[in-house]
Amino acid sequence: MTNTIMRTPLVLLLSCLCLPALAEGNPEAAKGKISNCIGCHGIPMYHTAFPEVYSVPKIAGQSPDYIVKALQAYRAGDRSHPTMRAIARGLSDQDMADIAAYYGGSGKSDK
Amino acid sequence: MRKLLAFAFCACFAVHAFAAGDAASGKQKSQACAACHGSDGNSPTGPDFPRLAGQHYDYLLKALRDYKSGARKNPIMGGQVSGLTAQDMADLAAYFASQPGSLHVIR
Repeated sequence: MTNTIMRTPLVLLLSCLCLPALAEGNPEAAKGKISNCIGCHGIPMYHTAFPEVYSVPKIAGQSPDYIVKALQAYRAGDRSHPTMRAIARGLSDQDMADIAAYYGGSGKSDK
Repeated sequence: MRKLLAFAFCACFAVHAFAAGDAASGKQKSQACAACHGSDGNSPTGPDFPRLAGQHYDYLLKALRDYKSGARKNPIMGGQVSGLTAQDMADLAAYFASQPGSLHVIR
């Protein structure tokens, strides 16, 4: 019993180290990867056309980790927008991290 | 025919009124949201929680509806929206859309 209690912190520490390393995003590298984003997310007040009409979300200034999570969810099919699913399926983990760093690192003063 | 047109005309307004959210009511209903998204919707408490402040109203509303319908899957949000009415979701979307924040548009 004592052994178990003493080992718990060690196990926790080791499991933290075993977590998959998240790809580090490079905003400069994203510049060659955002051509598919600009057409909708780069136009103020732009709307989707299919399958429903609503405003395309603002993504500049968003939390980078959330952008990655959103792209992963589209790739996995946990979010339903067909265009975003198709785009996300073509992105690697590194691409997603770069795009997230580009948009997430964008300060409000940019525009 | 005239009656039908009048009905259709009124129905448009009725639908609109139903969908419109009230930001002040949304603020009162937003306490549970604040735990993760921050009370202003612009200071999330975890790195992968989204900023909501200043996001488009209709996008926020669609996100909430999709969580509710299961079209968008997230264990936390799926649980949060289960008790919300259509009016609650519209009010919350109106509140967060009206808040100033860092979200913007760049090319």
